[in-house]
Amino acid sequence: MITGCEHAIEYVYQYLDEEITFFHRSRVSVHLKRCAHCTDAFEFERRLKALIKERGRSEPPPELFETLRALIQQERDTDEPQVGA
Amino acid sequence: MADQVDFERDAMEFAPQLYSAALRMTRNPADAEDVVQETYLKAYRAYDTFTAGTNLKAWLYRILTNTYINKYRKDQRRPSEVELGELQDLYLFKRMGEHSGATQSAEEDMLDAFVDEDIIEALETLPDNFRMPVLMADVEGFSYKEIADMLDIPIGTVMSRLHRGRKALQRKLWNLAEARGLTGTTQ
Repeated sequence: MITGCEHAIEYVYQYLDEEITFFHRSRVSVHLKRCAHCTDAFEFERRLKALIKERGRSEPPPELFETLRALIQQERDTDEPQVGA
Repeated sequence: MADQVDFERDAMEFAPQLYSAALRMTRNPADAEDVVQETYLKAYRAYDTFTAGTNLKAWLYRILTNTYINKYRKDQRRPSEVELGELQDLYLFKRMGEHSGATQSAEEDMLDAFVDEDIIEALETLPDNFRMPVLMADVEGFSYKEIADMLDIPIGTVMSRLHRGRKALQRKLWNLAEARGLTGTTQ
């Protein structure tokens, strides 16, 4: 029999990703209400996930749209669909 | 069925996200641009096979992912499950707790100290098999099912790679924090 903490930590990502069954979500939620340490850990993981989303992207080069539009235009103008592969 | 004449109107808004994802995959701006261009060309040619009203972003990502894998990973399809070694759960939380005296605000300050370059470096040092699911879940917000479909692997494999990939990413972030002296006692 695993403890409430072990169960919660095992399911931390599924919980935060909202990819968890109702049964496990309920069990984790009940545990979090009475375990400050796991609550801190979940909050930390949630913030880290948000940070990766916020800071994990890069800006495209400014001419990207123009390049892609030109590419599609060129493709549209050719009769032969396989040209330029 | 989607109409090819609508392609630019529908698909162009996703170009910046696709470029960013391509850059995380290839780790190189010139290659990233190549992959995005090839993706848009393939997507345009195949647009009449896209079912209008379904998830266009996921459809484009699938093409992007396949383009990347075919172009750059031809001989790297062997699994790399063993590369990461064994990692502790809650790796970063525990390391930071040990250093900060476990006050929650100190841990949050340490998290905030990570700049874009740290997050990007941590993502880009993950081996391919782990980087792709982490990128798709954490940066792009795709569901496990969508990731499984895009990478053509079972959902259970997505979950285990995500789990291990995230822990490895945390170890890398910790190493970066240590190297930069972010982990010293807070003033």
